[in-house]
Amino acid sequence: MKRFDLIVIGTGLAGLTAARTAVEMGAKVLITGRGMGALTLFGNTIDLLGEIPPETEMAEGIPRWIAAHPEHPYARTGWEGIESALADFRGLFPPPYSFAAEGKRNSLLPTGAGTMRPTYLIPATMAAGAAMTPVGTLIVGLRGFKDFQGDTVSLHLKCRGVTLSLPRYGLEGLTALALARLMDEASFRERLGEAIRRQMAGERFIGLPAVLGLRNPAVVLKTLEEITGARVFEIPMLPPSIPGTRVFHRFREELIAKGTIFLMGHPVSGANVKDGRCEGITVENPPLAAEYRADRYILATGRFLGGGLWAEMERIVEPLFRIPVFQPGGRGMWFGERFFDPEAHPIHRAGIVTDADLRPVDETGRVVLENVRAAGSILAHHQATEEKSREGIDIATGFLAAKRALAS
Amino acid sequence: MDLRTEVLIIGGGATGAGIARDLALRGIPSLLVEKGDFTSGASGRNQGLLHSGARYAVNDPEAARECITENRILRRIAPHCIEPTDGLFVSLPEDGPEYRANFIRACEAVGIDTLPLSPREALSMEPRLNPKIIGAVQVPDGAIDPFTLVVENARDAESRGARFLIHTEVTGLIRDGLRIAGVRVCDRITGEEYAIAATWVINATGAWANRILGLAGLKIGLALSKGSMLITNTRLSERVLNRCHPPASGDIIVPNDTVSILGTTSLRAEDMEHNEVTPEEVTFLVVELSRMIPDLKGERFTRAYAGVRPLLQSEETCDDREISRSFALIDHGSCDGIAGLVTITGGKLMTYRLMAEKTVDFLCERMGLHVPCSTHVQRLPGAGQGHTLKDRLARLRRQIPAARGEILCDCELVPREAVDAILREGKVRELQDILHRTRLAKGTCQGGFCVYRLLGLLNELRKEEKSGGSNVVLRGFLEERWKGIRPVLWGTSLKEEELIESIYKGLFNLAPEEPGRPGEGEA
Repeated sequence: MKRFDLIVIGTGLAGLTAARTAVEMGAKVLITGRGMGALTLFGNTIDLLGEIPPETEMAEGIPRWIAAHPEHPYARTGWEGIESALADFRGLFPPPYSFAAEGKRNSLLPTGAGTMRPTYLIPATMAAGAAMTPVGTLIVGLRGFKDFQGDTVSLHLKCRGVTLSLPRYGLEGLTALALARLMDEASFRERLGEAIRRQMAGERFIGLPAVLGLRNPAVVLKTLEEITGARVFEIPMLPPSIPGTRVFHRFREELIAKGTIFLMGHPVSGANVKDGRCEGITVENPPLAAEYRADRYILATGRFLGGGLWAEMERIVEPLFRIPVFQPGGRGMWFGERFFDPEAHPIHRAGIVTDADLRPVDETGRVVLENVRAAGSILAHHQATEEKSREGIDIATGFLAAKRALAS
Repeated sequence: MDLRTEVLIIGGGATGAGIARDLALRGIPSLLVEKGDFTSGASGRNQGLLHSGARYAVNDPEAARECITENRILRRIAPHCIEPTDGLFVSLPEDGPEYRANFIRACEAVGIDTLPLSPREALSMEPRLNPKIIGAVQVPDGAIDPFTLVVENARDAESRGARFLIHTEVTGLIRDGLRIAGVRVCDRITGEEYAIAATWVINATGAWANRILGLAGLKIGLALSKGSMLITNTRLSERVLNRCHPPASGDIIVPNDTVSILGTTSLRAEDMEHNEVTPEEVTFLVVELSRMIPDLKGERFTRAYAGVRPLLQSEETCDDREISRSFALIDHGSCDGIAGLVTITGGKLMTYRLMAEKTVDFLCERMGLHVPCSTHVQRLPGAGQGHTLKDRLARLRRQIPAARGEILCDCELVPREAVDAILREGKVRELQDILHRTRLAKGTCQGGFCVYRLLGLLNELRKEEKSGGSNVVLRGFLEERWKGIRPVLWGTSLKEEELIESIYKGLFNLAPEEPGRPGEGEA
């Protein structure tokens, strides 16, 4: 049986980052996951920490914030760790479809609800959204595509909106994925560009749902900008996320090219633990169940949605290794009385607590599994949704977990 | 705007709508005011059970007799609101054979058909039942859709001249000496206030009865009992399942369309409006009902809700009230010396028609009219329509011609056309009214996806500008939804909730409304 240097469990952004970091260091890696992760649901831009106001440079704001949040996953990586991890991430996306931060600070981007949202690294197809002004922007919805309501966006952003009908293509009931694939076809995007141009009244910016192509977003962007003569930007919308799917595909392509074994679609059904070490994992692929072994493991299975955590009626468990989970009391304590409570719901702080090396520890601080590290949103003491830190935590801790694992 | 009518009905629940229909059928003009939408109170917050009466047969034969009579009438006049599932009364070893024998005898005595079943027969009919059952009895229980029932009563009444004002709250009773001569009302959406003059005012507000009576300094003996229920994501059984033991909490499962409703608890309530289900009640219901369906814990629960039952307190010292033990018709003219005001309360969904009949009989007598009731024979307007799942899918197919197949709700297959049709009718006034009239937000995600789409549609039609913008409405919806979801958040429902929170708080950055929070671009 083939033995790996590292097995990564979880194919979300944290797992992908960990696998790539390890591969870059020359390790033999297996990555396995049940699905494509939260990345392909909500990953549009790379959030680092939305709480830092756009006036403040991250290099200044984050270290200060970490000092006030010593239990946060960022306290494990430090600002330097975040910086190197992000640089690595950006290396995977050379121009024209690259990720950049506007002046090393947060920018505000429009969303599908017509709100503005702070974020850090922005893909080329969304960059113009940070520069748009209500006067001079046209929001384009597509009749029949229900997951982007153009009128909602234009009403709230106070700019002009149109909903285009493209009857020849029968867009009614189309999914984001189908639409993105259509965009990859030159004839479709040219026709769309022409249809937009006919609706324009001198606008300099055009906002569209984030479906500008799966394979060649930069080409789609260029075509639309050439035809309309305006700057075009994508607006994040209801899941699934096409920009997140692009990131997923880019990682997978790179990992497979570098010789990583990529196992997708089947759950890890068990772990063989002996004397405080993981000796192997079983991947369920009915009717077969295969065991894979490595010297080290990274657990990046996400939170409840990803299956990394599971809420029984009265307590939260980590289903694979049964690692102790930090949690706020019984079920009655998990959620606040209002959906929009001023404080995040206590359950969001639940998760795996680790040592400085990202190894899971129990209540007394003792390492429970010598050769297993946890990375990504499964970690305790963050509030990724409220803080707007989801991708930052994934990238920074995925990177650190791989570095530390291979150093051991 | 000042209005006048012969009979003013307060309350748009089953009783109020039933009274409006009964009056209309007897040719008496009426106007109904409701402070929310139809079925905002207990009529919309119950088990959706078409009682056979079997539940009451042992303890309260009179209530059982009332139930079985109304059960037969409703099957005739409102077949499209009913799913004739039948029900089983299931005996577990701890329930013993004696109660079962009593139960069968009591049912027979009041004319409820029973069919005793062996454990094997019952298990082959309902495979998820606890294999340890010692027997079961089949009775003519069923499922009923209270919202359709009420709206159909209102629609029929309206076609015969009755008038309805929803989102209209009574703020005062107008007195003319020792008479009530009308009411003052407030339109809860526009804030407009006006008076409605009436010869008779009928207080059909259920649990809210004393709130209306308080406006005239009156009060009746009414206890409020909160009953909590849970909804599962799938249908657990094909028949209503009851425990065959003395009525208790947590002993009934009612199949309802694609889901099941589990109930109930019974707690004294102080407040009619704020009755969220507690995690303890949820745990109680799940544990208790696991005795009938053992693997219940792993089930996915989509929502919990509570209704407030108005229970009449034992002895009222007034002659005119004793019509039935289960509900009361109180003529405040003879009881309290304030004429023109009648309260009808207590009772249950099953007896709404009978309560309406008795109320209108009383009014006719006072008016000197001799027109008999016909609500027990006149079918509701939609009664001819097919109402099985097959019929519904056939209708859906007609509503979605291939070229315009926009489905707003993927969980429950609600086409955009269904909402367009409701908006065209022009009667709905807020988001919840649309949700009431469609299956939007009733499915697995409880509106997580479709409400964004629905608001987009309203924005397109510029319907939400007045109410402070669609994101204010969206926040309101999410808070309302939260009340039902929060008590059942564990397992798969909690996973779904992470998705919904990530969308609205993460992706869309909707924040609590606090001043000075950066990033939310609604100003």
